[in-house]
Amino acid sequence: MSFFHLLHPDVALQALPTILTGLLLTLGICLVCGILSLSLGMLVALGRQSNSKILRLSLGAYIQVFRSTPLMLQLIYIYFALPFAGIRLPPLPAGILGLTLHYTAYLCEVYRGAIESVPKGQRDAARALGMRNRIVMARVVLPQAIRTIIPALCNYMVQLLKDTSLLSVVTIQEMMFRGQIFAAQTYDYFTVYTIVFLIYFAVGFPGIKLVDFLEKKMKKGYASRSVILTPKKIETVKGVNA
Amino acid sequence: MIEIKNLYKSFGNDEVLKDISLTIDSGQVLGIIGPSGSGKSTLLRCINNLEIPTKGTIHINGELAYQDENGKPFNETEISLTRSRVGMVFQHFNLFPHMTVLENVCAGPRYVLKLDETAYRDDAITILESVGLAEKRDQYPEQLSGGQQQRVGIARALAMKPDVILFDEVTSALDPELVGEVLGVLRDLADKGMTMIVVTHEMGFVRQVADRVIFMDEGRIVEENNPAEFFDSPRNERTKSFLSSVLSHTD
Repeated sequence: MSFFHLLHPDVALQALPTILTGLLLTLGICLVCGILSLSLGMLVALGRQSNSKILRLSLGAYIQVFRSTPLMLQLIYIYFALPFAGIRLPPLPAGILGLTLHYTAYLCEVYRGAIESVPKGQRDAARALGMRNRIVMARVVLPQAIRTIIPALCNYMVQLLKDTSLLSVVTIQEMMFRGQIFAAQTYDYFTVYTIVFLIYFAVGFPGIKLVDFLEKKMKKGYASRSVILTPKKIETVKGVNA
Repeated sequence: MIEIKNLYKSFGNDEVLKDISLTIDSGQVLGIIGPSGSGKSTLLRCINNLEIPTKGTIHINGELAYQDENGKPFNETEISLTRSRVGMVFQHFNLFPHMTVLENVCAGPRYVLKLDETAYRDDAITILESVGLAEKRDQYPEQLSGGQQQRVGIARALAMKPDVILFDEVTSALDPELVGEVLGVLRDLADKGMTMIVVTHEMGFVRQVADRVIFMDEGRIVEENNPAEFFDSPRNERTKSFLSSVLSHTD
């Protein structure tokens, strides 16, 4: 019996609707957690540069905890253990909270590294012009920092997409969990998991290609850029174009 | 217009500025020379508060800058305001790589003075013309030669219409054949009456352009004079040996 005889098209067809419904939830969670962790990560990174020692230390502790423990355990803990401390969250908010906290911890380190990698001379030049610290950060440091990490951020987003599959442990019916349920009902594990496998690949692969493309683009320098958002260009007026 | 009194600066146990006092009048060009590690750059960076002095005072235009009589630092708004009146040009240019040449020059008026675009754009182009780079306005710094980048650095400082400009070894990172074009711009500025403090190793430039010269060594001002006497008849032994070793290389 060959490999492909194990695939049953009729089961695949039956499985598709429920798996695609799961995909929608997967993508939705990915979008929400992506936006949340991309923005919270920045806030935490800036917070770690704050003058308040308490804020710096507590953010540092949070990051260390979430980077040193498995995501699956974090999800389980938020969903199954926190209720004993009186915090009872429904599966979806618990899952979104877990994923967001986990990814915020990682992304904030990416941001921090990028902020620190901007040469000190850039801050000197900006401050010497009289820019206030907030402007230095917003107009000089962050535009340079973020540019270098766009590929890394995209990479984390692809990883986030894959990690949503762990939400099955807190009974969220995203694509992975729906596949598991359907496979258990039909006993056709091979067909169902192959479908799920292919769909993850179909969504994840373009993301990975995008990462590669962006990395090449970044290497080319500022003169050839087009992918990043920039403040409104100062127009060169025709009249002055001598 | 700038008066520095009994200025000290330490990094940890390392005292890099020791009891510096000096005045620079409006329209003057002050040359600061000395071996590396003598504190020249640190002194410049204290004048616009990029380094915070350990002790001592700086008056700019008759007013105490950066801190009050008791040594309590002024708030960010006041410090930024003073900085915006004191231009600085750096050894490694420090242009903003994500901005075009024109945007670099406009950065001060745009993000510090928060002027309307119409108020500063023509001005910025005029300034770029004065350093000979108007046609490069839409290029990025990475597309320019070192000399061109440094001229943009000067234009960026000029766009703020500062009372004084600090030049921190602005030709040291340039290929020898590009030094001349930058010194030419400095010369033009001096002719126009700009107040300038120039830390440099270009002895010929200091001799021709500066009104006064300071020689620094190990964090102190060792000798101060007008350029003619300074170079022709240095009084201090340390100055003599420094000048003879430097001039034998360059002349």
